[in-house]
Amino acid sequence: MSVNFILRAGERGFSRLVSTGINATYVAGHPDGVITRHSSFNFHEYQSGIAGFGSIRVFGDEVFSPGGTGYNMHPHHNFIIAAFVLSGALTHVNTIGKVDELRAGDYYVFSAGSGGKHTELNIGQEDLQVIYLWVLPDHLLGPPSYLRGRFDVAVNGNAITCLIGNEPGALPIGQSIKVSRLVNDRARTHVYRPVRGNGVYAFVLEGEAEIAGTLLARRDSLAFSGEERVEIAARSASDLLLVETAL
Amino acid sequence: MQGCYNGTMKKYLCLGCGFSYDEARGLPEHGIVPGTRWADIPDDWVCPDCGTPKSGFEMVEIPYWSQA
Repeated sequence: MSVNFILRAGERGFSRLVSTGINATYVAGHPDGVITRHSSFNFHEYQSGIAGFGSIRVFGDEVFSPGGTGYNMHPHHNFIIAAFVLSGALTHVNTIGKVDELRAGDYYVFSAGSGGKHTELNIGQEDLQVIYLWVLPDHLLGPPSYLRGRFDVAVNGNAITCLIGNEPGALPIGQSIKVSRLVNDRARTHVYRPVRGNGVYAFVLEGEAEIAGTLLARRDSLAFSGEERVEIAARSASDLLLVETAL
Repeated sequence: MQGCYNGTMKKYLCLGCGFSYDEARGLPEHGIVPGTRWADIPDDWVCPDCGTPKSGFEMVEIPYWSQA
């Protein structure tokens, strides 16, 4: 197996966006509203890191402060944007006509395709923790779409569970990308089998896990490829996201 | 000949929002005529949707949905 890169939590890009000044129209919320974003890949003003992996271009680990903070309605094309809510509540509004509220375990996939806009807000009273994933589509300017799903740890804990992709129970988006989640209640070892030639970006949300001889702590990540059978050894109660992509 | 010509036309995608520029199509609504090469667009040009600088675009080889 080849490890494409190891990215420690503290090595990611960091942005702190406030709802005043230059971002006043982009960032929603009262004057004290703050979004923090740790970026695994180059994004906006952070351009000194890794450009992407396969079709992945954005992996943002974000926190929105309470009381209306978020991103005001803004446009997209083409990108497939997925959000995975870790805690708090996300209010999502899009130009497909969907107004949605997502809580811990909920996730969505918004394919911007030929054009769409969305708003992302935390109108709750606690911080919103959310992971944003952007991937390049297999086709440009397709029909926009929105799908939502839910990861239920009581049902799908202690197993690699496909959230997005062509597997039963997952959101089918007709793309080569596949996203899985693995929540363990204690140390356990699992086997992940990528499609031949694909790469996998593994991100540790919580706990510790060992992949390819590398111990990953909270918010560390690693990308690997070139193997059809990869052991993922959780070293503790843990929570991982796995994004498989063609390379 | 036309096929060969079109084959050399490239597409570029804004990494800030996903807006796509196709050399073959240009952006007539923004004053860029079809056939305009990426290299011939001024360096200070920005994404018409999100303001990302030209340097924040990536050349992509992704077919259109309509061609799928």
